[in-house]
Amino acid sequence: MKQEDLLFYGEFAPKLEEIRQLLLTEIQSILDSLSTDSETAVAEHIKCRIKSADSLKEKLRRTGLEEKAESGLRNLSDLVGARVITHFIGDIYTVLDLIKNNSKWQVKNVKDYIADMKPNGYRSLHVILTVPFGVGDIDTIDVEIQLRTIAMDCWASLEHQLKYKKNIQNTTLIVDELKRCADEMASTDLTLQTIRDLIQRG
Amino acid sequence: MKILYAEDEKQLSVAVTEILKMEGFTVTPVYDGREALNAINNDYFDAVVLDIMMPVMDGIEVLKEMRRSGNHTSVLMLTAKTTVDDRIKGLSEGADDYLAKPFAMKELVARLRSLMRRQNDYRYSVLKIANIELNSNTCELKSDKGSLRLNNTEAELLTFLIRNINTYYSAEEINTQVWNGNESAEKAELYIFYLKNKLIQIHSKVIILINENQYALGEVT
Repeated sequence: MKQEDLLFYGEFAPKLEEIRQLLLTEIQSILDSLSTDSETAVAEHIKCRIKSADSLKEKLRRTGLEEKAESGLRNLSDLVGARVITHFIGDIYTVLDLIKNNSKWQVKNVKDYIADMKPNGYRSLHVILTVPFGVGDIDTIDVEIQLRTIAMDCWASLEHQLKYKKNIQNTTLIVDELKRCADEMASTDLTLQTIRDLIQRG
Repeated sequence: MKILYAEDEKQLSVAVTEILKMEGFTVTPVYDGREALNAINNDYFDAVVLDIMMPVMDGIEVLKEMRRSGNHTSVLMLTAKTTVDDRIKGLSEGADDYLAKPFAMKELVARLRSLMRRQNDYRYSVLKIANIELNSNTCELKSDKGSLRLNNTEAELLTFLIRNINTYYSAEEINTQVWNGNESAEKAELYIFYLKNKLIQIHSKVIILINENQYALGEVT
């Protein structure tokens, strides 16, 4: 955590860092239980971050909440977030099943934006978990794991840039093209999954 | 060529159906407007012949509903000879042609063939069935819940399956009928599996059905 983040999170900072580590460790062990061979590894990579003070303050402001760490901990679910990037669509659901069976947390909610994509073309699977917290009078907090394929991740990073960049020319054209790209990539993801199923069936 | 023929006079319907079949058309006869609309929503037709005067729902209402839902299948209206207004109404609601009753069978056949020949423009490139549509220009496959882009080969195969909904084909037959035998049965099978997964992904209500190495597009049962 950066200096400004430590200052903002204060007494909660060590516990947040501990939860970040817990997510990372548990997800890694889930992935290792599926394969330790780099050839057949399920995930391309995993990331885990604590929301920066700036971005948290902005979100609290936007949602009309008090600009304090505590109100974020009580009301938001992405102060600690992990992202698992897989090679294939099927792997996402394999990992999801193992996340559901893990005793270190409670799965609160699953939002499947792969089955029900967002209108702009966004596809990912979001899992909200409840984990023990125990600092002050906050017993538990919610955290989020996002699962997506490399193609979905690549698309999302470009879409993210579009969202935060002001004054882009031809926005409508770019939005339409991004949507088309998302649909092409989703199609390719399914093509790859189908071929992979055929190969594995032998 | 598949024709939907909506006509409430049973005797006329039987006669016209028989003659059209002899001329090489595949004919589905229905006897009122509601039935016509159900058939249009659940099957693919190259053209629709609609009698204006029908019980439950008249021909104009069927036509309006078809066009409102984005179905651009060619429509030929059958009108009473005396009513110019009906013909104008039909044409302005989106009918492609009309024929006044009583008509000569030869003329009906000639007009249907002429409609077929005109089916190459843009609006006919969107095929609709159940809750999905395929734009054969852009290869976009859409449902009310999602969308994907197919490649040309997949789009050709899906077009064929939509036009022949509920009919089972072997991989070899697909290769022959869709690609003139230029591909292979293995490739046909692989592409069937691609479409199978892609249709499921967009929550399509028509899916790939597999029965003893025969494949069809059909409704989820």
